[in-house]
Amino acid sequence: MCARLEEVAVLEGHQDRAWTVAWNPTGTVLASSGGDKTIRLWGREGESWVCKTVLEDSHTRTIRSVCWSPCGTYLASGSFDATTCIWDRKSGDYESSATLEGHENEVKCVAWSPSGQLIATCSRDKSVWIWEVSEDEDYECASVLSLHTQDVKHVTWHPHKEILASASYDDTVKLYRESDDDWDCLATLEGHDSTVWGVCFDQSGERLASCSEDKTLKIWQEYLPGNEEGIQTQDSDPTWKCVCTLSGYHKRTVYDVKWCHQTGLIATAAGDDCIRVFQEDESSPDRRNQPRFSLTATAEQAHSQDVNCVAWNPKEAGLLASCSDDGVVKIWRYKDE
Amino acid sequence: MASKFSGVLQLTDLDDFITPSQECIKPVKVEKTAGEVGKIKIHNDGSYVQVAQTGEEVKLQKAKITLNDCLACSGCITSAEAVLITQQSQDELYRVLEQNRKAAQDGETSQEKLVVISISPQSRTSLAARYNLSSLDTARKLTGFFKQLGAHHVFDTTFTRDFSLLESQREFVQRFQSNDTSAPLPMLASACPGWICYAEKTHGEYVLPYISTTKSPQQVMGSLVKDNFSKQQGKPPDQIYHVTVMPCFDKKLEASREDFYNDVYRTRDVDCVITSGEVEAMLEKEGISLVDVTPADLDTMFSSTSGAELLSHSGGGSGGYLEHIFRHAAKELFGQDVQSVNYKTLRNKDFKEVTLEVEGKVVLKFALAYGFRNIQNMVQKVKRGKSPYHFVEVMACPSGCLNGGGQVRIGDKEADKDLLTRAEKLYSALPVKTPEENPLLESLYTEWLSGRDNEKARQMLHTSYHPVAKMTNALAIKW
Repeated sequence: MCARLEEVAVLEGHQDRAWTVAWNPTGTVLASSGGDKTIRLWGREGESWVCKTVLEDSHTRTIRSVCWSPCGTYLASGSFDATTCIWDRKSGDYESSATLEGHENEVKCVAWSPSGQLIATCSRDKSVWIWEVSEDEDYECASVLSLHTQDVKHVTWHPHKEILASASYDDTVKLYRESDDDWDCLATLEGHDSTVWGVCFDQSGERLASCSEDKTLKIWQEYLPGNEEGIQTQDSDPTWKCVCTLSGYHKRTVYDVKWCHQTGLIATAAGDDCIRVFQEDESSPDRRNQPRFSLTATAEQAHSQDVNCVAWNPKEAGLLASCSDDGVVKIWRYKDE
Repeated sequence: MASKFSGVLQLTDLDDFITPSQECIKPVKVEKTAGEVGKIKIHNDGSYVQVAQTGEEVKLQKAKITLNDCLACSGCITSAEAVLITQQSQDELYRVLEQNRKAAQDGETSQEKLVVISISPQSRTSLAARYNLSSLDTARKLTGFFKQLGAHHVFDTTFTRDFSLLESQREFVQRFQSNDTSAPLPMLASACPGWICYAEKTHGEYVLPYISTTKSPQQVMGSLVKDNFSKQQGKPPDQIYHVTVMPCFDKKLEASREDFYNDVYRTRDVDCVITSGEVEAMLEKEGISLVDVTPADLDTMFSSTSGAELLSHSGGGSGGYLEHIFRHAAKELFGQDVQSVNYKTLRNKDFKEVTLEVEGKVVLKFALAYGFRNIQNMVQKVKRGKSPYHFVEVMACPSGCLNGGGQVRIGDKEADKDLLTRAEKLYSALPVKTPEENPLLESLYTEWLSGRDNEKARQMLHTSYHPVAKMTNALAIKW
């Protein structure tokens, strides 16, 4: 172990479980959401972090997920009340400006595409929806993908292509892209033995990390048609292959995984109350096909209950936020020793 | 396992697997005698028996959940194959045909049911594309096939689509001219049962008033066969077994609706729905290709033919509701003769718009919305009072009815696409006529329905919709 996670701030305010944390694109504001049906926005005041605003009264049940638009002007929140709410800061204060309705039941995750033109949502109703943001700020459903056979837990976008990944209770990850006037599945990643809770791309978009109820973390590599390894692909679609499984580290379910696009560090949030950080071994002889990762830092008892989500600050390398069933949001700094 | 229902229904949990979090919670009535405590034994064959104190064993009945229970329930609804198979499959048709044969052998002709098959033009087209036959050959061969199996009559639902189109046209003009809040605009098409089921379960009273009350061609054929044709034949409705051949599994749900059940005779207007794909399976079971079936003359009674030619309607493979209502409304309301209907494709190929301008002003705005994503956007706009349309032709399947979930599939994506393209070509090649040109219709309005605006015509040609309340059962709460 060659690094540690130093606790920078303990942010209390949520009256129930805290489900997600999300940094705005400039890394100055942290949004968190929870079972108390609120979104809290945290910012720096001098050396300390304080709650700047509480957004409430738009959802009737738990807010399970929150994310920012790439321009930082909008927030999207997904709730167990089956709706997704768009918050808009144009007048100075955040106001709820649109509601995306259509899911049959609990929305589990919401993700804004890097172009800002698309929003993806997923739900216990087993479907993934893609919404288009029109010029007059209307949100229209562009596709409904009912390809998972169970509850869909998480959705995330490729960092620079319009490719979407979803993770499900059916133990798989699916990737989608637009083709022929509708969206379609381009790959199904099978390998986990239980629910896949989280999935994220690395900075290049050529690799994915997924985490699961089976207590492992898996790293997947994209192989394009005509790849030099000779791995088979179909038509013009790439093949995704699991190139590394990290097991034995987590004692319970791994609920979230985030790949830092600045440092390449991978952080996980787990049901054993710990936050862990993994670093790739750069001296590995075949990093593409046989990458090696080692655990470099663990925050034991990071929270007093399950850690639900972690988020790397997009501008300040090494700054990590987390939240937990204990209702607390924390900020950590990753420090080499 | 892929569900065969339209995507719309799959989203409302109407699919073929019951998962641990979605058990059926429909309360089942258990007949119980008060008093003594019973014992239940499970036999080796898996059957349950109740053991009385005297030692007498009574076999326990299985709790049965029918398709109707599922339709009336907003909790878990499953269409587990078994539920459907009991009433709505080719096996049931075979069973009835077998009973008829037995009755004939035993000389009990009074026990014989009159078997009527009504084939949809979309199914006929799908089978024509599958077997590389012309539409007419397919119609004649299907007639031959079903008659050989023992069916007495084979009709074509294009005939009753004339009624559906005419009634939709009239209903639209009435809605447009009145300010009746119980029948608002946009009027939404009612022929697609997947869409109806979704609207009832998910959007209830917000959306149902917008849906046209006109029955689909399948259900008008049901009325015609069980009310008019039965009298002609001197048979009570329950002595007629009416089967339709449809491009869509959801049509089985439509046929099962309480609204289309005759309490007096305990019979449905449509007793059984089989899909195009199931007809293919029947042909395989008989070990014959449709190509080799001996053709038979078409039944001319309820069929749309002109001389030796089949007839169809303009406006595409989903029935042409938009086009017919558009032309009729343009003429009736604005005195305009529409030469050609120009579709403007909007967000995607399944969302199109048609407008009528008079003196530079848009006076009619119609849309086609096929497939779930387009239905979704349309419904949200209607709910918020922001829909710019007067009429929307709503269909649950992308590409409409020719691409219905019950159509023949080869299983390969590209091959299925080719098959659909061939079907679309075959379908659009048929000569078209307007319902007003059908001479038989006028006499049916007069003789069967005694006119247009009366209770009889309403009962036979229109229906109603019922919101399904969300179930608030403690068992249904999901944490």
